[in-house]
Amino acid sequence: MKKLAIRRRDLFRAGFLLACSLAWPAPPAWGSEGDNDPDAELAAARTAALKTYKDRVAPFINTYCIRCHGEQKKKAGVTFEYAVKTPASSTFRPLWKKAVTNINSHDMPPAKEAKQPTDQERRVLADWVAGMKYLSPKDPGEFVIRRLSKIEYGNTLHDLFGVDPAIAGELPDEVLGAGYTNSVSPLLMEKCLTVANEVLSRVLAPAGARPTAVELRLFGNPPSQEKDCEPAARRIARSLARSAYRRPPSDAEIDVLMRVFTLAKGSGRSYPEALRLVLKAVLVSPQFLFITPEDDADLSKDIVPLGDHQLASRLSYLLWATTPDAELSALADAGTLHDPAVLAAQARRLLSDPRSRALFDGFGAQWLGLDKLAGKTFDPGKFPLMTPAMRTSMYEEAHLLFESILHENRSLRTFIDCDYSFLNETLAPLYGLEKSVIGPAMRKVSLGDDNRGGILALPGILAMTSYPNRTSPVNRGVWVLEQVLGEHVPPPPANVPSLEKQDPHKVATLTLRQRTEMHRSDPTCASCHKVLDPIGFGLENFDAIGRWRDQDDTGGAIDASGELPGNRRFSSPKELKRIIASRLDDLCRTLASKLLAYALCRQLDGYDEIVVDQLAAAVAKDEYRLQTLVVAVVTSYPFTHRRVNEQKGTSHAK
Amino acid sequence: MRSDLLIDRRTCLRGFGAALGLPLLETMGWADFPNGGTAKPPVRLGFMYMPHGVIPEQFWPADPTTFLASPPPILESLRPVLDQCLVVKGISGVPIAPLNGAPHALELSTWLTAALPDVNRRDVVNIAISADQIAANYIGAFTALPSLELATMPQTHKENQEGLNEAYYSHCSYRSPTQPLPAETNPRSVFKRLFQTRDQDSAAGKRGASIDADALDRSMLDLVLGGAKDLRGKLSRGDQHKLDEYLDGVRALERRIAAMEFRRLEAAKEASGGAGPKRNPNDSPPIEVRIPDGEKRSEYMQVMCDLTVLAFQTDTTRVSTYIGSTPNGVSYPELGFNDEHHSQTHHNNKPVMVDKVAKINAFNVAQFAYMVKRLYSLREGEGTLLDNCIMMWGTGLEDGNKHSRENLPFVIAGRGGGALRTGRYLPNSKGNQGDLLGTILTAAGIPLDRPIGIATKLLTEMISA
Repeated sequence: MKKLAIRRRDLFRAGFLLACSLAWPAPPAWGSEGDNDPDAELAAARTAALKTYKDRVAPFINTYCIRCHGEQKKKAGVTFEYAVKTPASSTFRPLWKKAVTNINSHDMPPAKEAKQPTDQERRVLADWVAGMKYLSPKDPGEFVIRRLSKIEYGNTLHDLFGVDPAIAGELPDEVLGAGYTNSVSPLLMEKCLTVANEVLSRVLAPAGARPTAVELRLFGNPPSQEKDCEPAARRIARSLARSAYRRPPSDAEIDVLMRVFTLAKGSGRSYPEALRLVLKAVLVSPQFLFITPEDDADLSKDIVPLGDHQLASRLSYLLWATTPDAELSALADAGTLHDPAVLAAQARRLLSDPRSRALFDGFGAQWLGLDKLAGKTFDPGKFPLMTPAMRTSMYEEAHLLFESILHENRSLRTFIDCDYSFLNETLAPLYGLEKSVIGPAMRKVSLGDDNRGGILALPGILAMTSYPNRTSPVNRGVWVLEQVLGEHVPPPPANVPSLEKQDPHKVATLTLRQRTEMHRSDPTCASCHKVLDPIGFGLENFDAIGRWRDQDDTGGAIDASGELPGNRRFSSPKELKRIIASRLDDLCRTLASKLLAYALCRQLDGYDEIVVDQLAAAVAKDEYRLQTLVVAVVTSYPFTHRRVNEQKGTSHAK
Repeated sequence: MRSDLLIDRRTCLRGFGAALGLPLLETMGWADFPNGGTAKPPVRLGFMYMPHGVIPEQFWPADPTTFLASPPPILESLRPVLDQCLVVKGISGVPIAPLNGAPHALELSTWLTAALPDVNRRDVVNIAISADQIAANYIGAFTALPSLELATMPQTHKENQEGLNEAYYSHCSYRSPTQPLPAETNPRSVFKRLFQTRDQDSAAGKRGASIDADALDRSMLDLVLGGAKDLRGKLSRGDQHKLDEYLDGVRALERRIAAMEFRRLEAAKEASGGAGPKRNPNDSPPIEVRIPDGEKRSEYMQVMCDLTVLAFQTDTTRVSTYIGSTPNGVSYPELGFNDEHHSQTHHNNKPVMVDKVAKINAFNVAQFAYMVKRLYSLREGEGTLLDNCIMMWGTGLEDGNKHSRENLPFVIAGRGGGALRTGRYLPNSKGNQGDLLGTILTAAGIPLDRPIGIATKLLTEMISA
């Protein structure tokens, strides 16, 4: 969301030209009919797309584009040289999409070129690009072993040893989910060793002292005879490794730990001290820091199913941000977790547990843009209510709304049109309910006002999409388009023509709505702003921290009316919400793709688009329920499989 | 962002108002020659970053001849040490096409790499080793830490312009093309990292015991490393590559423990009278670092600068990179306004906004000036500590209003042991970012086996004849 906050301000201030046009409504999702074998249907679609490519698309590029946009000239840095050789490669999807935009708008080929494609030729290219996903063969996508994030690392130490998860506090902060920087640095390894030392000193007794309860649980009582020490240590090493590595350790892995034991004994350490060093070794081992696969994967294949233990970890870290519990581990040991029914049941079990709060903190807050609320600047003179307690309460309100929809397995539609929220006395003044909502505890409140309720009217989000001192209809419009409806609002071009010629005094006297409407007078800007601005106007009754108002800062009456493409008129937040709620399929698809990307810890690509279609269809079939969406994601093909060898033919030769 | 930072600092500062106590003072010094020979002090390299460019009219000196006497407003704080500085104009940035929609991710990530991310795999990090890390690979081997990475704000910016990986928004140091290095934001942890290896074992008080524990840790890590190599053999190619980062991290950790161990042994020897002090008696004693109680950004940045100075002075590291702020929405209430930095840079020449940006620029330069003056105030060898440093300050755009990258602003302080001729404004350097970085590394005595990023030449006019 930060991006939008910055970007939209750019747009507003400088009047950037947007060379884009937003689709409204989005094309219907694929996959609503599923009687036939879906894999066979996909294969047929793939064949057709390849044929169109060969017969129509490649000739188009070779005739109209390649002379300027080939390896020789690379005009504007654009070359089709590689794209035409590997049309199925998702690498070049952005290039194709950009090409369609330019070709449709007749910016390309340039007007001065004699050879111009017919409108029909242009349409064929656009249609083919729209269906490019069918070129991708069935593939779970790039998979690389993943390091535990800082949060997961802290939670895991808590579950294994009972220490406060904040013990990991000194590890570098990082982004979660898609965009996660899955890498190791010397600093990280230093901190891991420091944290390991800290864990040991907290849970184990100092040398010579009586063992702690945790120590007894982990190590048992020391053997009375020296000769029994090594076998006992081996048993202990195995059990430590089983829980810390989240899978049965191999004999070779136990041997490594036993070498550590022998090393410590050889340096004159006592039996408990030697076990202490073994535990430290476990905590800095790659098997603990990474989710590593079992030993038995067949690396001669290109794609293999995830082993049950790896799957247990993936599921547990997604929904709980911590290590699998005993039940999950037992199912993995039994080898039954990969059964879709078992996996789905486990997903539902994990979701019903309070630990599933991790899904909101990691995913939900990121989706709604609330992860940055605590640090956002507000003008303290204008909004004294924006205290740290208010920010926390706003975040909790969103969390409890998300949780109620998840735990009660409600329809995604509830996100838009619910008539309740969760309030305490801090939030109450924003709703004008300070007389009835008393006390710091959050409780469910029936709102009885259709203008309020749901994420479009949620104070935390309304605040996040505002400036420090006022609302931003543009930011709010972009937020709804991108986060709710899944439209992509392109960034402004680099060469930004400024509005220096405009008289600043004249602008200063206009109302916010009039000022915002100004940049829509330019046809290029208007193509985006005619959609995103009205949405923002429809929410203008909410001030920059989400309070209801009838007048804006200039004292003028709020005009919350607007029209969206397709003659969809509204005059209040209530009516706007109704229109947005009617685009439930778009919300469903948006959430499905965001959750899938979060679950896979990568951006979506190629075949994933088809998976998203399937997820959206499955969720729609079950009345758009949120749990169903989560279950569909964790049982999906890319979540349960991994590619172990590089995909052939589609990667760009370097 | 700002209040995240403050919360973080409050927790770390509680009960920590006093000056940080330096252990093992006596042994810290750069003396490469143990037996009192007159070694030449090593060259240290520092990089400090501000996002979003400057107000060019208030940054570039009017004239090379009057530059020292009347510096431009943004450089005013450097006036007392301007004769120790080079101001370099004419350095162009990496052309960012076809990633034109991501000027702010690229202003930081191209800053020390002088290279563009791999356009075809932009969702994962794949750029180039950065200049500070090239230096760390060479001169970092002599010190407990190969390099130090600092930042003022957590590197958690979530944004996805042009499909670029999130890490590009907040990282400028890359240990390898695929390994962005995290920076530390907590001054207390930085201090701990510089001067202590372990808390609990040393808390036991026995110096000998902790040396022994260090040795044991190193042997343990060796065994773990062996096990990790076994694991590596069973992984797919992509996974192996990921594990290599782990192996590299553990090896760096082993080296660091060994260096600290060595330092302890030397200290023990010295304490028992078995060896004379390593420090040159004429050198200034290590500076005192105080973590401020207040919440001012300037004080926070200054303690990070102090830590850099101390790390250089004690030869704990010779390479430091400080991201003064990342390109993602910092505000400077200390300057009397709450606006976010970026929002003001698109000022369209509106005087109020131009003025705010100039103030933010001057503020950032002033923190750099603080560090430079501190380095200049310390004796080392035949001159000052600054004489043996090359401190580069810069930003990744020229003019944030236009996102222009033709004349990236750079100030370079220190002579790098005599390699650079300072006190000059070079108004027309005709080079690029890679050329500048390559020249600095070369001046620091670091051999380059290939040009840095887009570099094509050395900027010989910077170098002493």
